Amino acid sequence: METVIGIRGPDFVMLAADCVQASSIVVMKSDHNKIHKIADKIAMATIGDAGDSNQFTEFISKNLALYKMRNGYELSPKAAAHFTRRNLADYLRSRTPYQVNMFLGGFDDKEGPELHFIDYLANAKSLPFGAQGYGGYFSASILDRYYHDKLTEAESYEILKKCVAEIQKRLIVNLKNFNVVVIDKNGIKNLEPITSVKLDAAIAAAQGAQGVRAH
Amino acid sequence: MATERYSFSLTTFSPSGKLVQIEYALAAVAAGASSVGILASNGVVIATENKPKSTLYEEGTIHRVEMVAEHIGMVYSGMGPDYRLLVRNARKLAQNYFLTYKEPIPVVQLVQRVANLMQEYTQSGGVRPFGVSLLICGWDHQEERPYLFQCDPSGSYFAWKATAMGKNAVNGKTFLEKRYSDDLELDDAIYNAIKTLKESFEGKMTANHIEVGICDKTGFKRLDTATINDHLANI
Amino acid sequence: MSILAYNGGCVVAMRGKDCVAIATDHRFGVQAQTIDTDFEKVHQVAPKMFLGLVGLQTDILTVRERLAFRKKLYEIRENREMTPKVFSSMLSNFLYERRFGPYFIEPVIAGLDPKTSEPFICNMDLIGCPNVPDDFVVAGTCGEQLYGMCETLWKPDLEPDQLFEVISQSMINAFDRDAISGWGASVYIIEKDKITVKKLKTRMD
Repeated sequence: METVIGIRGPDFVMLAADCVQASSIVVMKSDHNKIHKIADKIAMATIGDAGDSNQFTEFISKNLALYKMRNGYELSPKAAAHFTRRNLADYLRSRTPYQVNMFLGGFDDKEGPELHFIDYLANAKSLPFGAQGYGGYFSASILDRYYHDKLTEAESYEILKKCVAEIQKRLIVNLKNFNVVVIDKNGIKNLEPITSVKLDAAIAAAQGAQGVRAH
Repeated sequence: MATERYSFSLTTFSPSGKLVQIEYALAAVAAGASSVGILASNGVVIATENKPKSTLYEEGTIHRVEMVAEHIGMVYSGMGPDYRLLVRNARKLAQNYFLTYKEPIPVVQLVQRVANLMQEYTQSGGVRPFGVSLLICGWDHQEERPYLFQCDPSGSYFAWKATAMGKNAVNGKTFLEKRYSDDLELDDAIYNAIKTLKESFEGKMTANHIEVGICDKTGFKRLDTATINDHLANI
Repeated sequence: MSILAYNGGCVVAMRGKDCVAIATDHRFGVQAQTIDTDFEKVHQVAPKMFLGLVGLQTDILTVRERLAFRKKLYEIRENREMTPKVFSSMLSNFLYERRFGPYFIEPVIAGLDPKTSEPFICNMDLIGCPNVPDDFVVAGTCGEQLYGMCETLWKPDLEPDQLFEVISQSMINAFDRDAISGWGASVYIIEKDKITVKKLKTRMD
């Protein structure tokens, strides 16, 4: 049901996740944040079983904090992604596997921005862009069409808006709001959420402007 | 394990920094029957006394020289029962290696693993160190050369060109120092090994009262009485 | 669908005259959806040895890591390089340790003996049953197609450049008939004193 999207630009990573918390067929909450800060310059956008998502992200982030306390420096995004994958892989073959899919975005001062795809089987891959969940089916082609390797933050945000608009238009599930986070050399920053209200308003305004021209 | 809670190791340091249990084990070795090993250019030989304590013993039934793998054999000075446990383990280690890598275990690897086992018995609870020193000889297929090692109760091990252990080890080594040379052939080495044993042998030496094992590129074997007799005839 | 075909992908290895070749596709997908097109399933594990793993991607990563761990311990312990023969025995045992809860992968090993330069190719099933033929080995979601192609194109004693041609054509024409393999390929030709890597551009649909 849920959706996460990630885009890696030349000097930033952008993560977007819907805000729905659902129980069976009921939407319990539509402002639930699924993008977690797990280190100074690493964030994780997770979807999956609600309990598992929270428990697992907390487990990873506390372990990263412990690592920092012990060693005096943070785990790199690559190492954090590897650590996350390994834990997920070990849990997969335990009696209590975690059902979580995620994008791990991070900025490494030496290596630059990184985006890691990890799913509940612990399949993992560093990607330039990607989307998971039902919304992923509708976003993939949009990302393919508009992604290029000199993306700016603003362009990237526009692509996300296109993805969200498409999801809201075509997906049967109602994903009203999407939180957006950007990670760059300065750390993690929340951007304005992409909401159906704002997207509708923008469309209305555009149609209005066209209408005026037609007269 | 709960049963092991109070079974701490007997091998504890004395105030002077010695492990007396290990020294006692070495004393057991020094009191044991002599054994000797010599490296030759094309092989290696190990030999030992096997003198029966009574004329009623059936000779040639219990052996002191044992094969560990196709290309490895060993002999001991010290306590027989401890030795048999080590032989069992060494054979198992060699086969485990072969099953994992489909390649015969290098002699050094086997020695390291046996030595490791012996070390464990100096630090574990509920056990005592082994009362034996081993001479392990074998052919290294990678380097295409023979090897001769000694393993002590402490778990330390040495690579020798020639050495003696047990009763009269000191005299034996002095004797070997005089006789050893790098270009020894296997037959010369057998001759010298028997000769070294003879130095300290009490009474008349016969083929039934010594054991000889040889190893070259074709593998390890224990010499039969007839062959030993042939060698004895030369002495 | 089989868990072995969850991510898609294929690997093939061939023996030539004093050389071996191994090739991999580039697709990484989750069922029918392609996630990325630069996932190489072949890895260099020694100067003259390559390991190809196909199947469930999570297990490809895990097995690769665990094998590297065991291989390094062996090489430190024994102070010598691992031969392809020893490596495949180790891998076979490693996989059989998980006989009743296997890693969902099929391995392919290709290499030359570091001392004798004897060509070696080998593949296994997911629980480590080894197969060491003297022509070619295949693995992956288009294994049947690969068998067909290899069977028609391969012949004994191919020179390195001919071997490259044969393995490339086998690979491309096999995975073009498979929806979840392809999206580019890499070919490694291993000779006594040289390793050549070539990237193949193929259909991206």
